[in-house]
Amino acid sequence: MRILIVEDEVDFLRTLSQAMREEGYAVDEAMDGEEGLYKAGETEYDAIVLDAMLPKFDGFELLRRLRRKKATPVLMLTARAMVRDRIRGLDCGADDYLGKPVDLNELSARIRALIRRSNGNPSPVVQIGELRADMGARTVTLREKAVPLSAREYALLEYLLQRRAKIVTRTQLYEHLHDENDTPLSNLVDVHVSNLRKKLGPDVIATHRGQGYSIGLDQA
Amino acid sequence: MKLPVQSIRWRIQAWHGLLLALVLAGFGATAWRLMSATEYRQLDSQLRVRLSALHQSLTLNPDGMPGPPPEARPPPRPGDYRLPPAMRGLFDNGGYYYVLWTRNGALFGKSANAPAHLPRPERTGHGAEARSLNGNREYFDFTPPGECLLAGIPEASLHRSLRKSAELLAALGLVVLVLGLTGGWWLASRAIRPIDEISATVMRIAAGKMDERINIAHTDSELGKLATVLNETFGKLASTFDQQARFTSDAAHELRTPVSVILAQAQLALARPRQPEEYRETIQTTQRAARRMHALIDSLLDLSMLADQRTHLLARPCDLAEIGREQLDLIRPLADQHDVTLAADLGSAQCVADEDRITQVFANLLANAVKFNHAGGEVRLSTLRENGSAIIRVSDTGAGIAAEHLPHLFERFYRAEESRSRTTGGAGLGLAICKSIAEAHGGAITVESELGRGSTFTLRIPAADSKNPP
Repeated sequence: MRILIVEDEVDFLRTLSQAMREEGYAVDEAMDGEEGLYKAGETEYDAIVLDAMLPKFDGFELLRRLRRKKATPVLMLTARAMVRDRIRGLDCGADDYLGKPVDLNELSARIRALIRRSNGNPSPVVQIGELRADMGARTVTLREKAVPLSAREYALLEYLLQRRAKIVTRTQLYEHLHDENDTPLSNLVDVHVSNLRKKLGPDVIATHRGQGYSIGLDQA
Repeated sequence: MKLPVQSIRWRIQAWHGLLLALVLAGFGATAWRLMSATEYRQLDSQLRVRLSALHQSLTLNPDGMPGPPPEARPPPRPGDYRLPPAMRGLFDNGGYYYVLWTRNGALFGKSANAPAHLPRPERTGHGAEARSLNGNREYFDFTPPGECLLAGIPEASLHRSLRKSAELLAALGLVVLVLGLTGGWWLASRAIRPIDEISATVMRIAAGKMDERINIAHTDSELGKLATVLNETFGKLASTFDQQARFTSDAAHELRTPVSVILAQAQLALARPRQPEEYRETIQTTQRAARRMHALIDSLLDLSMLADQRTHLLARPCDLAEIGREQLDLIRPLADQHDVTLAADLGSAQCVADEDRITQVFANLLANAVKFNHAGGEVRLSTLRENGSAIIRVSDTGAGIAAEHLPHLFERFYRAEESRSRTTGGAGLGLAICKSIAEAHGGAITVESELGRGSTFTLRIPAADSKNPP
């Protein structure tokens, strides 16, 4: 999952980014309205965390302009968490609202919920055959036994699960697993897929030659 | 329980009623006395007519023909008097009576309805006289030889008619009093009604509806003026409250940002075991946030101290040029960092001022001028004396400030550009503090700016003079 955080307070931005990276997200950063809008328009983020008070133009304006072309889930974040501001943010097209100071656990739970909803998955628990993934607790079990996964492996599996029964291209996977500062070789995706197959069995992730990968397409 | 006496309306009414009653009573009493005097005069003239008839009767012979006057006749004998028939009509009705005494005081004659044992009046020699005796009105006179003649009438009917008049007057007075009181009540109510409206509105405002105002329907009257003054006062109070509320909310907002950083950093650091280097970074970040809070708290305290009239400045003689020289040295590292040249034009400017506060103004204006300058720009500091003012002037060659921001520049938390704040670190209180310091010294701070050319801040405080020797 790749998210964008738009926040002008450097220390706060860095804290949020680190927290979200530790939650397994690929995180891009922007420090003003202009940069935020540019990045949000260029990349398919899974979610955007948007501060309301920004230089150049503020979060509300960014949201208004973004909504003309994109439906990326947006969580607004601001120090002025007045009811009036929350209403204004939501009416500008925000999907959720959180006031500062934020609890990092709440923030990541809300982002998880936003991503789930935007993919049309109401439940955080997914069962496909003998594989069971709890995207709230970030655990994966196979035949009732916990499977230890690396952060990247989990992120890849989660992305495929969020889009289960759909074919996901290698480019998509690459883009949603790596942030703007992290550009390893693209065949790393294949390495992660093959590692996942070793841990979960060869049949869980299907390969569609020339198109990409999928999970649960047969069962659909 | 409020006594009605405490109400203005009741007091007006009471005084009004009392005055009206007094006037009516005085008027009634006078009218009654006049009436009574008139009645007595009429009665007396009736009695005088009868008395002169009695006089005349003494000059008549028994046959009814005129004869010699009493002094030419022999003294009459007691009980001999007979009223001539022609005069009987005068005493037959109306209760009139007569009594006559002989020269030596014996009863000469009297009418049947005359009171018994009526004392003979004493001769005073003043001619006909009147007297009121035992409820009778009597008129008496003496003939030259000494016969005493008296005509009288009971006063009962007169008293009856006078009492009736008095009752009528009293009733009339009562009616007028009631009418007066009613009218007075109506007038007082009319006069009081705007006061009631005002007090109702003021009570609503006191209850928290700060945007309520008194309806000024009668601006010409005294109450209209009062309402206008009250409305203006409420307006000022409301805007003060608004400013205070906005200030508090701004301050809270400014504090919330560093608090957010500290809380989030702490939560993140505690989430799992970290390397010492990571803890170090966390502590550094929280330290930065805490410093920012510290600076903000100091600024807020400065502002509240300067706003407090009881705080006294430690005013001492000082020369702005000297302080300026020191501050230029202190700002030089920052200027070098921003590649800004410092220029100085320090003329002696003696004044009596709180040196620490003035230093604060220098530091603030210089730091702003450096931070908002472009690389290769210049900051010029001048101190001078002009028209009895000691002046600090700081000019920069920065981007300048748009005209629409200039009037608000010295407001608390006002920032010309939101983007500048976070990178420069200020909370937007520096210029507000400078303004408070200027005002505390009885001076003022002003700004001139031109977009693209730069800005000039000028602080003027009274210079030291003969009245204010350094």
